[in-house]
Amino acid sequence: MQMPAAGLHPGRVNVLGSMSTIGALPLLALFAFGVALPLFGGGYWGVIATRACVYWVLVSGLNLVVGFAGQIAIGWVALLTLGAYTASVLVAGNAAPQLPAYLALAIAGVVGAVFGLIVGLPALRLRTFYFAITTLGFATIVTQVALAWQSVTGGGVGVAGPVFPPPFSSEWGFYYFCFGFAAICTWMTGNVAASRFGRALTAIRDAEVAAEASGISKPALLVTVFLFSGAVAGIAGGLFATLQSYITPDAFTLDLSVLFFIAILIGGRSSILGPLLGTILLTVLPEFAAPLVAWSTFLYAALLLVIVLAIPGGIAELLDFKNRRPLASDRAIVPRPELLPRLLGTPADAGALTLEQVALSFGGVHAIDGLDLEIRPSQVHGLIGPNGSGKTTTLNVISGYYAQHRGAVRLNGMALPVFARERRAHLRIARTFQTPRVVGSASVLQNVMIGGTIDGKGTFVESLLSLPRHRRDEAKLRDTAMLALTAVGLERLAAVRADRLQHSELRFIEIARALMLRPAYLLLDEPAAGLSGEEIKRLGTFLLAIAAAGTGVLVVEHHPDLIFDICHHVTVLNLGKKLAAGTPAEIRSHREVVNAYLGG
Amino acid sequence: MVQSIVLSGLAVGCIYALIGITYNVMFSASRVFSFTAGALGMLGGVLGALFIDRLGMPVALGFPLALLGGVALGIITELIAVRPVLKSLDQHLYVLSTLALALMLQQFTAIEWGTDARPFPRLFDLPRGGFDQQFWLPMLACAAVIVGLELLYRHTLIGRAFQAIAEDTYAARALGLPERSLRMASYALAGAIGALAGFAGGEMLLAFFGNAPLLTFYGFVPVALGGMGSNRGAVVAGLLLGLFQQAANFLVGGIFASVAVFTVFIIVLLARPEGLAGAALQRRV
Amino acid sequence: MPISAAEPLLEVAGLSTGYGKIGVLRGVDLTVGAAEVVALLGPNGAGKTTLLRAVSGLLPWSGRVRFAGRDLAGLGPRETAQAGLVHVIEGHRVFTQLAVHDNLLLAGYDLPRGERAARVEEVFVLFPEIAAKRHERAAALSGGQQQILAVAQGLVRRPRLLMLDEPSAGLSPVLVDRVLIVAQRLREAGTAVLLVEQLIEKALALADRIYALARGSIVLEAKAGEPDLPARLEQAYMATAPRAS
Repeated sequence: MQMPAAGLHPGRVNVLGSMSTIGALPLLALFAFGVALPLFGGGYWGVIATRACVYWVLVSGLNLVVGFAGQIAIGWVALLTLGAYTASVLVAGNAAPQLPAYLALAIAGVVGAVFGLIVGLPALRLRTFYFAITTLGFATIVTQVALAWQSVTGGGVGVAGPVFPPPFSSEWGFYYFCFGFAAICTWMTGNVAASRFGRALTAIRDAEVAAEASGISKPALLVTVFLFSGAVAGIAGGLFATLQSYITPDAFTLDLSVLFFIAILIGGRSSILGPLLGTILLTVLPEFAAPLVAWSTFLYAALLLVIVLAIPGGIAELLDFKNRRPLASDRAIVPRPELLPRLLGTPADAGALTLEQVALSFGGVHAIDGLDLEIRPSQVHGLIGPNGSGKTTTLNVISGYYAQHRGAVRLNGMALPVFARERRAHLRIARTFQTPRVVGSASVLQNVMIGGTIDGKGTFVESLLSLPRHRRDEAKLRDTAMLALTAVGLERLAAVRADRLQHSELRFIEIARALMLRPAYLLLDEPAAGLSGEEIKRLGTFLLAIAAAGTGVLVVEHHPDLIFDICHHVTVLNLGKKLAAGTPAEIRSHREVVNAYLGG
Repeated sequence: MVQSIVLSGLAVGCIYALIGITYNVMFSASRVFSFTAGALGMLGGVLGALFIDRLGMPVALGFPLALLGGVALGIITELIAVRPVLKSLDQHLYVLSTLALALMLQQFTAIEWGTDARPFPRLFDLPRGGFDQQFWLPMLACAAVIVGLELLYRHTLIGRAFQAIAEDTYAARALGLPERSLRMASYALAGAIGALAGFAGGEMLLAFFGNAPLLTFYGFVPVALGGMGSNRGAVVAGLLLGLFQQAANFLVGGIFASVAVFTVFIIVLLARPEGLAGAALQRRV
Repeated sequence: MPISAAEPLLEVAGLSTGYGKIGVLRGVDLTVGAAEVVALLGPNGAGKTTLLRAVSGLLPWSGRVRFAGRDLAGLGPRETAQAGLVHVIEGHRVFTQLAVHDNLLLAGYDLPRGERAARVEEVFVLFPEIAAKRHERAAALSGGQQQILAVAQGLVRRPRLLMLDEPSAGLSPVLVDRVLIVAQRLREAGTAVLLVEQLIEKALALADRIYALARGSIVLEAKAGEPDLPARLEQAYMATAPRAS
């Protein structure tokens, strides 16, 4: 493999840009088709198309929850119900003075957002099945309430849906109204998907600990997404009520929820186009096969099973021809330490990272027992010791996964808050993991960009609307990430899905991601595990260069060759206590260390 | 009035507890919560009504056949929705595969059996009223399952093997236990228990496809509150849930009873995600 | 102890394995003769446990493994145990909620009932300290007794080769001797032992031969009695050239 010339400007390679152009073509085609639809079809197809648009307004928001953040929200029909009843009841004036349809629709959006947050909040603490079942429970309850609260909802008799004034009162007028919402939702969620928020969502889904280490706050992000998703679901509800012209609780069966949910999974996760096609497909399909209408939900469920078992990536992955091309098999990782100063800049002196008398025990077993440690900038500090000596535990205390029972971890004299993992990134403390944590379905470049999430300036709303600050953030992140990738020697793989890479490459991707923080301290958990001898040497050289650029490096490692080759200072742990500390040469001739290490 | 609230509360509670145990038996063998638990309960009722009412079988034949249907569905769950995804690193796949299967069962029932709630036959020709069979049958079924499981776990080798797998699947595998057949057997057992719940509670719940999601939710509440894998916890929490629901139903009306159950469920889950009994923090890094 | 080089009981050749994409072992060769005690040494993270897991079928592997003249390719832990190759995993992971007696019965799960009961009694004779607690839950045993129970579980199968993974880990020195003596007795009874052990001196005292594993490969093979072994081991572990000292 040929080394690229040193004068290369890797930041100019706009991989994502070219990708999104290709991705936008089908969307534009769909848009054109949607605009021109009245030219083709008769009245009935207009209703079907309107319905597809209304569903998509909801699904586009749900897609961020399910497809991007990976939260299994199966009861989203509840928000459609709430939006539909809110809009209908307000226009009908059952509970309050009559309101105009537009205002009622806006209020339906607000109600949707509030309840989206309420249904979604449990996701901050509950995982997978638990969250799924709470959303299911919520959907069950909302229907029961709609049925029972007769004075407002009309109970089983129902209530008339809102009617919008001209020009949206006619059939095609209303179609364009819904189509407009659908198009805006597509555009907005597409913007989010391609932003640092979209990448952060996928990171929460596939590599939560890496997201935390990159400074991504899961609660803040999910709250934003639930609000957005709830708002569009509420609006979809209002539109749905108009489309139905009369609503009863029967209209909001769980089947509908299943349709929304399955449309996303059939379409594929982390995709906008896939779920959009999925929604259209599931809305239109029963119309082509009238005898199958009764069986439609059954078939959707069967389709879901097939997809889960056979193609977990959905349509989007089937259409991803680019990532079928075989990769060169003889690729070697050749890091370019000379790029590090440009990437890391000249860091301000962050002061020393110190542990003072830190102690932590699990169920009476002392994992760490009164440990003192000082890690200084520009130094590589090695932490070694037998299994169970407390190395990884120490690293996890520093990065906030465990709270010490005693003692303090300080950065430049200031105590680090316990448990606040994502705060570490803001203090420029970066880390990697024993098993690389990457978003397998995202490209290598996107994975590295996740590391720079906290450097973005724009807000979620700016990303939704693709405002200038959002675009500047993205361009800058992409350039920096490309530079980081070039520094670790993996720029050729920038556009490749991360799950296609070898283990050793994933290790270097993690390092590139960590470098995006321009870390004052870099903590590495067994970085040499699974690397070949040659790769370990290159890793060693690279870590030394990172330290030379001013970063303090802490390496937890089994491989004595790596530790002794590159460390300025080595601390040996045994049974949670410091057994010895000193230069590699001192440690090597330390009898007790050799004994402990050899188990003699 | 108090008597009827208590009776119906305990009876419904027993059904919830049995569905909870169905979840637990599957979970212990595979660390998977399966959405099919509620569908199994629903099918117990529908199959019972089908065999006894529609096909005119005697109870002595319809009952074992309904249980056998549950067993078959348990095995199908294991084979097509659990086994293929257990190997996957993506841990949430089982949620989707079991959800898909549960929906298929529910929809199939809706189409072939109908979407109306149909009556379930009275199993014994006894006069109605008081401590009626519709109340004591679920209680009897629940007691029988608890005693049966206890005997199985205490006195048979296969029962101990179930416990071994529940405690440490890896060690069980290393010891040479036939982990796969044991898992399948657990699912078969869970299928029978789920079907029994629906059958015994048939008269209260009716033979209705829509029971599936309700039982899936209300049957999981005892698991979540009682601690996953704990049958004792499921029974206690199930009975409390049944009593609470029936009392609230009577005192403040159906809407608020449902909302109250849901709210309590969410609050407890948020406060103690591992259930009221026992908590285990997994190492993530 | 003489080794029948022509027909080793266990023959591992070119074995590679790992977890998912992470390669841990690369081309490991190793043999164990009948009634031989072989110690597998190495720094932590070297892949010792992984090697045992692969051989017993808990992990998929590539290469060649033959046991008692039989190819083990594609066999799971159940089949290898039935063939007489029993793996006692690390960390005395017995079933704490079950009685000691039941723990042993489970080890003979696929034996006929009478045979199973007889084997369990046989094992109790070997280990009076757990026989005394046969009806108590395994949770009530001390760490050392749990380890003995784990070894006893392995013996219910009457193995031809017993693989013990760090039986001494977390035990007090007295208990370590108690557990390791079992290995000695097994050899006398004609059972081969493949022992993963951190305590080098203990391992050297017990074993006929040793292998050292470092960085996923065998870096040293020697007879236990050879001179200067600790120094050679240190060198092999640390991957350093001999130093003047």
